[in-house]
Amino acid sequence: MKASGAFRERLLGAWTELRENLGRSVLQALGVLLGVASVLGGFSISDSQRKRADEMFIKMGGLDKLNVMPRTAMKDGQPSALQQANLGLRDADAIGGEALKADAIQGVSRQKSARARIVSTFADQDRQVSGIGGDYIPANGYGLAEGRGFSVSEMEGGAPVVILGTEAAATFFPKGDALGQSLRIGDIPVTIIGTFQERVFHFREGGGNQFWWRNRIIAVPANLVQRRMNGDAYRRVDRVTFRIPDMAAMSGFAQQLKGLVSANHRLQDDFRLDDVAARMRRRQSQGSVYDIVFLLSGVLALVGGGIVNVNIQMASLKERVREVGVKMAIGASGREIFKSFMTEALLITALGGAAGLVLGVGFSWGITRSIGVPLHMTPASFFWAYGMAAAFGFLFALYPAWKASRLSPMEALRYE
Amino acid sequence: MKTTRGTDAPIIETLGLTKVYGANGAAVHALRGVDLSVQQGEFVALVGPSGSGKSTLMAILGCLDLPTAGTYTLDGHAVQGLSGGELARIRNEKVGFVFQSYNLLPKASIVRNVELPMLYAGVGRKERRERALALLEKVGIADKADKLPATLSGGQKQRVAVARALANAPALLLADEPTGALDSKTGAEVLELFQELHRQGNTLLLVTHDPHIAALAERRVEIRDGVVAAGGEWEASHVQAGSRTAP
Repeated sequence: MKASGAFRERLLGAWTELRENLGRSVLQALGVLLGVASVLGGFSISDSQRKRADEMFIKMGGLDKLNVMPRTAMKDGQPSALQQANLGLRDADAIGGEALKADAIQGVSRQKSARARIVSTFADQDRQVSGIGGDYIPANGYGLAEGRGFSVSEMEGGAPVVILGTEAAATFFPKGDALGQSLRIGDIPVTIIGTFQERVFHFREGGGNQFWWRNRIIAVPANLVQRRMNGDAYRRVDRVTFRIPDMAAMSGFAQQLKGLVSANHRLQDDFRLDDVAARMRRRQSQGSVYDIVFLLSGVLALVGGGIVNVNIQMASLKERVREVGVKMAIGASGREIFKSFMTEALLITALGGAAGLVLGVGFSWGITRSIGVPLHMTPASFFWAYGMAAAFGFLFALYPAWKASRLSPMEALRYE
Repeated sequence: MKTTRGTDAPIIETLGLTKVYGANGAAVHALRGVDLSVQQGEFVALVGPSGSGKSTLMAILGCLDLPTAGTYTLDGHAVQGLSGGELARIRNEKVGFVFQSYNLLPKASIVRNVELPMLYAGVGRKERRERALALLEKVGIADKADKLPATLSGGQKQRVAVARALANAPALLLADEPTGALDSKTGAEVLELFQELHRQGNTLLLVTHDPHIAALAERRVEIRDGVVAAGGEWEASHVQAGSRTAP
């Protein structure tokens, strides 16, 4: 059976068989088709969601961030008395942290917020004021629309200057001429030196702006909040963020930082680390649970289709006993019969699977469109969907093919 | 060389061939010790009433089935104890079947039907096609090569079956009531084809219940109750007078 083109002949024979029994073949292919479509569809929908989430994280200022935030140290379910003696998260932690791995750290930013009464000619509201330091602006994905950012001396000296988000600018200066005007934060008059670009991100097309609250920002130098709004001599902060593009350096740094801050805080567990990339990975592994569910539902469809196919094949084998007998009489071995039945089943799987891929693409497109997320498909999804179908197609083809190959030639010939 | 007979080893040589169906109480003894030998180039008619065991004998001689006991040597190959795959190979290379109901594959064209045994034998595509066309030429229906079997008359179908049986130049041509489904005129034509094949040196074993057809053969082997009742061995005296004329 070598150079005689036996495979080609079997394929041709299988194709003829399929065409002659179109209804049966379509039914058989249908099970495969639906299985492949559901695996591919499921994967693609979850891929599309994930891709969108990644884009959101990147727009939020990237994944390469390690946040340090204060928290209440608890003892026996109560805030620890020692907390009072502690100084909390403060500038010293940020400066010490940066010194640990100065070459790997690309930037450190601080945040110190306060609530205050904000008054302009047009509005008078109680608002959150974000005291920012370091490279907070780029690290959080902000960009200036007009004016300028804070200078080093303004940051250091806690100068009375402010940059407004679009919503804040529109609220306090509805005429759109915020730049250069002044505003009162509590009892401090501040000058508006810039405005931020509008932050927009729609996770779903037609959905709400995920970043709307970022347009409410009223940013002043962190030192202004620390010195003039809280009267805090310890220069405590709400959040320190380190940017480390080298993901490998990140986890080592996190450990070192934990040790340092813990020592600074007299071993009080009054802070927490938040590795954005790790959070992302956790979220992704959560996503992979969905993938398993999708895979499972596809597998169930394929198993269901496979069992139906075994039934159909067994029924059709009854009609073809005589044909098998004739082939055996003229010299086909059981192995040859087995191969020809396998070829038929696998051809159905291949064609049904291909149609399933097409349907799966349409399916994914329809669903992602209906939820308003851009469609994102990966080669791995195609591979899995088709691979599963091929594996199950093969598995379920074995029994009928084996049955056919075991027919006795004489009895098969006499079969009516 | 196929014309020499009685001198070489026989094509068919059986000794004490026994076939039992079922087991114990319900056992049916279809063959009870058949001794038969057929020389190269012989034209033998296998006759016997229904239930005599001739179908069973035919199945064993055609390697479709194995005997329960006894030995069978086909063209020098001991058949007993062979695996299914080895039997398939012997059927493919040594035996050509012609059935009463033609048994062509309905979905394959005429030429593909004839090619099939060569495909199983591993003959290349080009050679397969050439040989199949030559065989169809030989049986006189080369013009139908690309048609499907359903479009042919009974006589034509049987000619295709003969061409297919000859595909791998078998040592033995086995025909089971080859004219049973044909009217007498086409039947006679098909028989004429068999006689022609015999003249060309093929070894023929024809199963029939029709004494007129059996009369065409050189030798009648009669099976009764699972044993050879007459004609088990070739002898010069077995050659019937006027065996070359159609009934």
